[in-house]
Amino acid sequence: MEPLIDDPALTGKPLSSEPATPSKTSPNTAKGKSPTRIALSRLRRDKVAMVSLGVFLLFVFIAIFAPLLAKLEGQDPTTLNIDLIDRNGYPLIGITGDHWFGIEPRLGRDLFARWVYGARPSLIVAGLVTVITTIVGVTVGLIAGFAGGWVDRVLSWIIDFILSLPYLLFAIAVPAVLLTIFVGTAENADAQQVAQVRFFSLILVLSIFGWASLARLIRGEVLSLREREFVQAARVLGVPTHKVLFKELLPNLVGPIIVSASIALPTYVVTEAGLTFLGVGLVEPTPSWGLTISTAVTFYRAHPIFLWVPVIGITILVLALSLLGDAIRDAFDPRTRR
Amino acid sequence: MLFYILRRLASAISVVIVTLIASFALFFLAPTDPAGVICGNRCTPERIEAINDSLGLDEPAITQIGLYMKGIVVGRTYTTAGGVVTECPAPCLGYSYTLGQPVTKMLADALPVTLSIVLGGAVVYFGVGVLTGTLAAKNRGSTMDKVAVGTSLLVNSVPYFVVALLVALYATVFPPAQYTPLLTNPWAWASGLLAAWMTLGLTNAASYTRYSRASMIETLGQDYIRTARSKGISERRVVYRHGVRAGLTPVVTILGLDVAFQLTNAIFTESIFGLPGLGLLSIRAFYQYDLPVLMGTVLLGSVVLVLMNLVVDIVYTFLDPRVRLG
Repeated sequence: MEPLIDDPALTGKPLSSEPATPSKTSPNTAKGKSPTRIALSRLRRDKVAMVSLGVFLLFVFIAIFAPLLAKLEGQDPTTLNIDLIDRNGYPLIGITGDHWFGIEPRLGRDLFARWVYGARPSLIVAGLVTVITTIVGVTVGLIAGFAGGWVDRVLSWIIDFILSLPYLLFAIAVPAVLLTIFVGTAENADAQQVAQVRFFSLILVLSIFGWASLARLIRGEVLSLREREFVQAARVLGVPTHKVLFKELLPNLVGPIIVSASIALPTYVVTEAGLTFLGVGLVEPTPSWGLTISTAVTFYRAHPIFLWVPVIGITILVLALSLLGDAIRDAFDPRTRR
Repeated sequence: MLFYILRRLASAISVVIVTLIASFALFFLAPTDPAGVICGNRCTPERIEAINDSLGLDEPAITQIGLYMKGIVVGRTYTTAGGVVTECPAPCLGYSYTLGQPVTKMLADALPVTLSIVLGGAVVYFGVGVLTGTLAAKNRGSTMDKVAVGTSLLVNSVPYFVVALLVALYATVFPPAQYTPLLTNPWAWASGLLAAWMTLGLTNAASYTRYSRASMIETLGQDYIRTARSKGISERRVVYRHGVRAGLTPVVTILGLDVAFQLTNAIFTESIFGLPGLGLLSIRAFYQYDLPVLMGTVLLGSVVLVLMNLVVDIVYTFLDPRVRLG
């Protein structure tokens, strides 16, 4: 596997923050290794981490090639197979060669196709929110820590403020307001449009509440880093502030940033599925595991596969991501090792 | 000390006030149509105007926020179009658009449910977690330790709502989930909440096993524990009297923050087990665009969160004299 970070600025330059580490772990190599390199090689030897990464990549693969996989089966996620549904709404067929996971009660949509497409919103929402919160969190943390003074005080207050809000309640309330703004409360609102607004408002809410904890962490790190000699030296040399921030400070923050992002990703997958399950996240016609689970609850006795397929999907994905996140944290900070 | 508490109190109040203004702006100044929601489909413009008038929705924004805040502090009066005057005593959060009940009353009905769930669950996870964590730390490296750590890692990684859902659907050993007030019938109260407590408790116990194991390992490695052992005190006494006391201080702090967090996040437990707490109230309000109720839950949630943070900080300084107030 290629190392995740291959920035020459990062790997070529011996980082002044950890002068002792390279010589300790690799006494024979004359060339210094960055802490990131060391962590990645440690991670590569971790079997649990590599298996989890494999599982995660498998799900990414499923999500990307969902149309192809559905075509392979010969079905698509929106076709209603009313002819295969009996008068009470229960499917007449189980698992067949045509319908690998069977079909939905009532509407008769193909479950395998819905399952592979359902991997998409989970990964897209969680991935986008992780990227947005990481970028915003790092930027705000860098600015607050480095600028100090009233900028720091204002940003810190905002961080504390956001962290002390009941975010799940806002996650329920904000989409309600956004819907009335963009779609209106009309009964006959366009389903596609509603689904779109819900999709973006979910990303918006999770992003607004997600960046603050990372920003607080980064601010703390920057506060200690900015007094270090290499930063002082860069400033004395007249390096412009943005270069000090992004070329001197940022490379030293790669560890905490990667760790925080890898721990955030599974929590956002769970949050998306959970909110959707409650009915306040994504809505039909978007195929989503949370949505399938909430519909399947009604049929759990008569048609258990309907419930279990998305449940197993989300559990395995989140399990793999969490174990990977734990392993990444251990690799970057050996003190937390189990 | 007093100065510190006062300063923290001031910052807590500032957070609550800003939350109030921000969420008020979000809910009431957005181009929503509360009168339409109240009035339903067959509605005349005159009727909508009357509703707007009686709720003060035709006033300028600043006046509306002012009236809302005044309602919280001293109460306010509503005059309906028919000339009926309704007195809404402080703390008044307005009336539900769809049910017509005072929001304060709805919140007061829902809060004990959420409190019962969260506190009962906390007893389970704190008890189970600390017990297994201490045992694992005492027998570090043993099979029992490895099983405890492995299980907690796995349990922690499974989505909570999935676990709760599966328990609610398949674990028929528990009595059916329902809420009975504690004072009405303590037995019905406990048995109706048992499933929710066990689900919340056993899933969260995993993290407490890890916290207390780590904390106990650190404590048991301290010099004074060695001294206690060398004095010939029994191992049980060393671990449970000398060790647990010091080892649990940080865990208790996490407990306080967790309880605060769960009070505003009990939504999954409530909606899956059908318990009418704050979370379920906010979800119903979401479906019905019942903005005063949503606003009330958000406000109550942030007050609870801010207060609990404050209490934890202050209690922590008493528990651990090394913490300096700054």
